[in-house]
Amino acid sequence: MTTTRLAACLLVAFAPAAFAASGDASVGKKKSTPCAACHGAEGVSPSPEFPNLAGQYADYLETAMRHYKNGKRKNPIMAEQVKGLSEKDIVDLAAYFAGQRGLRTWY
Amino acid sequence: MHPLRFLVALALAAAGASAHAAGDAAAGKNKVYQCQGCHGIVDWKTAFPEVYRVPKLGGQKAEYIVAALKAYKKGERDFATMRAITADLTDQDMADIGAYYATHGTTTTTAEKKK
Repeated sequence: MTTTRLAACLLVAFAPAAFAASGDASVGKKKSTPCAACHGAEGVSPSPEFPNLAGQYADYLETAMRHYKNGKRKNPIMAEQVKGLSEKDIVDLAAYFAGQRGLRTWY
Repeated sequence: MHPLRFLVALALAAAGASAHAAGDAAAGKNKVYQCQGCHGIVDWKTAFPEVYRVPKLGGQKAEYIVAALKAYKKGERDFATMRAITADLTDQDMADIGAYYATHGTTTTTAEKKK
């Protein structure tokens, strides 16, 4: 494999990751108003049945929203909420909630 | 409503509520060994069919964790590893696991978050 082809492969391999990481948290904050009703103003849910989002991994949140949107994950409330979200909205929202302090990995 | 009937209704309602909230965090500690292999490792990723970091559970709502586990067990949520693990969990196991993660680690208020 030539160096150029290797470089091209690497670029293709990492492009999705780079794209996924392009969420803008400050834009996400502005889009997060409807989320706050259930998930709390700062991603800490006031209700036991709704998950905390604060501090969750951005790529997990993105995957969850995409799955709600494409029907892989079924929840009537979330399906309705994500219906109108663009891919940019999804990464912005994920960046906003991931940047908050809250959830953590427990050892 | 007769006072006695009201009391009976109250008792039934309370019993129903406690049946949902009976998770024991201490018991849960001994039941999360399967969970920790992925959820206990910072930045641990799934491998298939999509790659993303497995969610953090420390400080998550107990009831949400229980709902997620039940959904995996019933096949309403689809991820092969979670489906396999939840197949053997009882409702009590799920409640205990939920209680364990809920009590181990969040900053629940704005004031705490700013510390």
